[in-house]
Amino acid sequence: MVNNKLLLVDDEADFREIMAKFFSRRRIDFETAGGCMEALDQLGKDIFDVVIMDVSMPGLDGIQCMAEIKKIRPATEVIILTGNASINTGLIGMKRGAFDYCLKPIDFDELMEKIILAREKASGKSSP
Amino acid sequence: MHRILAFVKDLLFPVSQPEQSPEELKSAFKNRYRNFRGLLTANNNALQAMAELEKVYYSRDSYRMATVRSKITTILVNVYKMIGNIQEMSAGRYKDLETIFETISQDLDAIIEKKLSPVQGPLVLPLSEVDKKVKSEAGEKMANLGEVSHLPGCLVPQGFVVTASATRHFLGSGHIGEINRRLQLLDPDNLDDMLKTCEEIRKIVHETPLPQDLEELLHVHYSRLEKATFPGCRVALRSSALGEDTAGVSFAGLYRTELDVDRDSLVTAYKEIIASKYGAKAIAYRRKRGYRHEDMEMCVGCLVMVDALVSGVTYSRDPGEEESEVIRINAISGIAKGVVDGTTMTDLFLVSREKPHAVVYSEMRQNSDKLPVQHAAASSLTYAQIRKLAETALLLENHFGQPQDIEWSFDHQGVLHVLQSRPMLIGHVVGGGDSPALESTKETGEKPFLYGGIAASEGIACGEVFRVDSTAEMLSFPKGAVLVLKYPLPDWAPLLSQASAVIAENGSEAGHLATVSREFGIPALFSLTEAMTTLVNGETITVNATARAVYRGCRRDLLRKKAVKKDIMAGSPVQRILTEALQHITPLNLNDPNSPQFKASWCETLHDITRFCHEKSVSEMFKFGQEHHFDRATAKRLVGKVPLEWWVIDLADGFREGTSYEDKTVRIENIVSVPMLAIWQGISAFPWAGPPPVSVRGFGSIIFQSTMRPDLDPAVASALTTKNYFLISKNFCNLSVRLGYHYAMIEAYVSDLLTESYVTFRFKGGAADTKRKAVRAKLLGDILQDFDFRVELRSDALLARLKKQSMEYLQKRLQILGYLILHARQLDMVMNRPEAVEQYKEKFLADIGEMLAEHTLPTLAESVNGEQQTLTG
Repeated sequence: MVNNKLLLVDDEADFREIMAKFFSRRRIDFETAGGCMEALDQLGKDIFDVVIMDVSMPGLDGIQCMAEIKKIRPATEVIILTGNASINTGLIGMKRGAFDYCLKPIDFDELMEKIILAREKASGKSSP
Repeated sequence: MHRILAFVKDLLFPVSQPEQSPEELKSAFKNRYRNFRGLLTANNNALQAMAELEKVYYSRDSYRMATVRSKITTILVNVYKMIGNIQEMSAGRYKDLETIFETISQDLDAIIEKKLSPVQGPLVLPLSEVDKKVKSEAGEKMANLGEVSHLPGCLVPQGFVVTASATRHFLGSGHIGEINRRLQLLDPDNLDDMLKTCEEIRKIVHETPLPQDLEELLHVHYSRLEKATFPGCRVALRSSALGEDTAGVSFAGLYRTELDVDRDSLVTAYKEIIASKYGAKAIAYRRKRGYRHEDMEMCVGCLVMVDALVSGVTYSRDPGEEESEVIRINAISGIAKGVVDGTTMTDLFLVSREKPHAVVYSEMRQNSDKLPVQHAAASSLTYAQIRKLAETALLLENHFGQPQDIEWSFDHQGVLHVLQSRPMLIGHVVGGGDSPALESTKETGEKPFLYGGIAASEGIACGEVFRVDSTAEMLSFPKGAVLVLKYPLPDWAPLLSQASAVIAENGSEAGHLATVSREFGIPALFSLTEAMTTLVNGETITVNATARAVYRGCRRDLLRKKAVKKDIMAGSPVQRILTEALQHITPLNLNDPNSPQFKASWCETLHDITRFCHEKSVSEMFKFGQEHHFDRATAKRLVGKVPLEWWVIDLADGFREGTSYEDKTVRIENIVSVPMLAIWQGISAFPWAGPPPVSVRGFGSIIFQSTMRPDLDPAVASALTTKNYFLISKNFCNLSVRLGYHYAMIEAYVSDLLTESYVTFRFKGGAADTKRKAVRAKLLGDILQDFDFRVELRSDALLARLKKQSMEYLQKRLQILGYLILHARQLDMVMNRPEAVEQYKEKFLADIGEMLAEHTLPTLAESVNGEQQTLTG
């Protein structure tokens, strides 16, 4: 059984706030985390099918954090969303199993569709 | 369409798989279909990013490294996804793709993230030891000045250079890394953001203490200057940048010069110059010209101040005209600052390059406003000084091998000091005296309402007036406006990348802002008195800097004379990087899926990989049905009231549930593929106007004709490729059409998610010579452009694309394509008569208009529910 809940991990409080408004308006069930440790705490409390992940954060970065999340719940789909394009992190992110690698600023509707597609994939994996 | 051959091979020799349970099969199919969709989406994203990258490359506009980096990252990520998808669909059949991709991505990473590995050298160099051999330590400007100091009869101020090694020693890799990180995140179109970041960086530079050894060296060398001159001597600190050596790029006035510096202010002034590398004007300029901040290093020259009586700027050839035989001198009392920062009026002398260097023209502007009209002002230069300047200018031009832009001062003892000599930027300056360009004001239409001034940069442009006198006003400057200023200060330079023209009440052609305007190809009209009071914000004006005139409104008649835009990025490091990177991205080597070279191992570029993956993904979908005895993948003939002959292959869920897979035929009402139905509406909207000179079924005659006509695509000879195939699923359709000699392909994925929705159309060939084929392709391209397709035309090959649009929007476009592929055939007969081509275009547009008005399209739900009225009976 998949829980349709989303987790946003980003160290920028302003960004989390904007996204929170957006998710609420779209009636998406979500939580936010300001860093990897907080994200892992959330993961202990709840089940998420999709995680939206920033890359450069203090402490564990988004790529490392994704690896930690996948260790706990392999079926989670991670959408990387970064303001700082880099060929290297882009490809490492994909190789370590990110669903997608997107650049800020991103169109809300486009992100919404990516969430839908990631959800589709997540449900495919966890269903028998 | 070549893939049909491969399919047929599979039809004859299907690979049998062990039977799977219906659930397993369903899940396997679902997975494969998801990969297929993912691959199509990634393909579109990658191709779009490639097209965008090529667009900026050929646009002649400026672009940033950050744009290049993000587009290439997008391409790589999507190609990576495609490889993952095709590997999953094919059980890992294409391992070669992974290795090739790995090589390409590493190559690209090396090109994009190129790192400099500088060698640590001396921290300070006396100017007397500097020449062009130590340019990498002294920077461009000081290396040139060092050269000048070694020339006979040339005097430069005594001084020393704080080197590039010193800058690295000062900031260290930590601070440099942090600064570069901030610069990358910066949005340079947002001036507010830019000024904020610049201030932050300035703070970092100022708060970093100078390493003790460097500070001591500065004092030691300053003491030496004191010893050579007098105790407490004042010095000027000047920037000397590295890595800005492309011809035609001035970097004029972007960095700080600190005057009257003494021992106490030495360290602060040094930091100020280092920090000016990150000033707003420098950042905006580098961005516009395609330079990367990290490739550029700042060195600092420390020169004893000249006690100047008169100073100025000399151009060894008047930049007003090519091969000018005149030297241009702008002079001013005191130090030269007022000349270059555009705050002061200067005296102008045009001097013959031939001995004895007669003054051919002069204009005493310096004090003209303070003197009664017609009263000659006193000359700032004596004839002997003018001759000395002319001789020096020619000597320097000769030494450096090209016309020079020279900054100089005469001291109170009458000795000439050269402060700077750099290659002159060849632009166009007009004004001062009788200008031949006045002719261009002989125009029909309204006369100019403002006239005069100095044409600091030639050209004509129109835009709305926007006056700027403060930083606050600078921040709200609208893109494309005419910048109106009191003084053409270099501080306004960041606005030049957004302004259509510049007007200033003061200043001359010798100022930095004038230089940068010429470089950017923006018209600049300076010393236009009362410009700030006469021109009203928001008013649209046309500035003809060449004719020194300002007109009301946008004068299209004048704008037509505008010269061709120059490539502002030409030769820049960013352009070089993109040129190199594109070699690994866009060339397409895998053209023909029928060729034995159409293999994973033959892919050389990212475009090749996308082409290969796309081709194989369709055949993998097809194979699935074969391998699992779905049998749905067998081609079925479309029957009913159908023009011509069409075959349908169901890849997934394109047939209505319950359709018998044993049948050799299918009727249109049993098809639920949304894109196919839309295309079909276009095909069947109007009767086909034939008659074809060659029967579509008569393969023999086509083969005969193609042997007679070697210019025809060899693929025509294959009987199978002459059939028209729809490969479909509920949301997908790939239609290959060959009518006569046309080859057309429509591919579409249409769903509720914009992310994955697209329409692609390819068209090539036709029975005509290449020129007439090109006319036809262009006609189709024109029509499609009217309907918002993104069209690329190469000779007779047409590619039209649309993506991320609503279902209804895409369905309409598919209808249009359906109509066009059927009726474009008629053009064969009339291609030699241009007026007939135009008639057909009108007929096509009229038909399309009628068709779109008449047919309401079925929504996805309706077509699934089987409510759709068929046109085929």
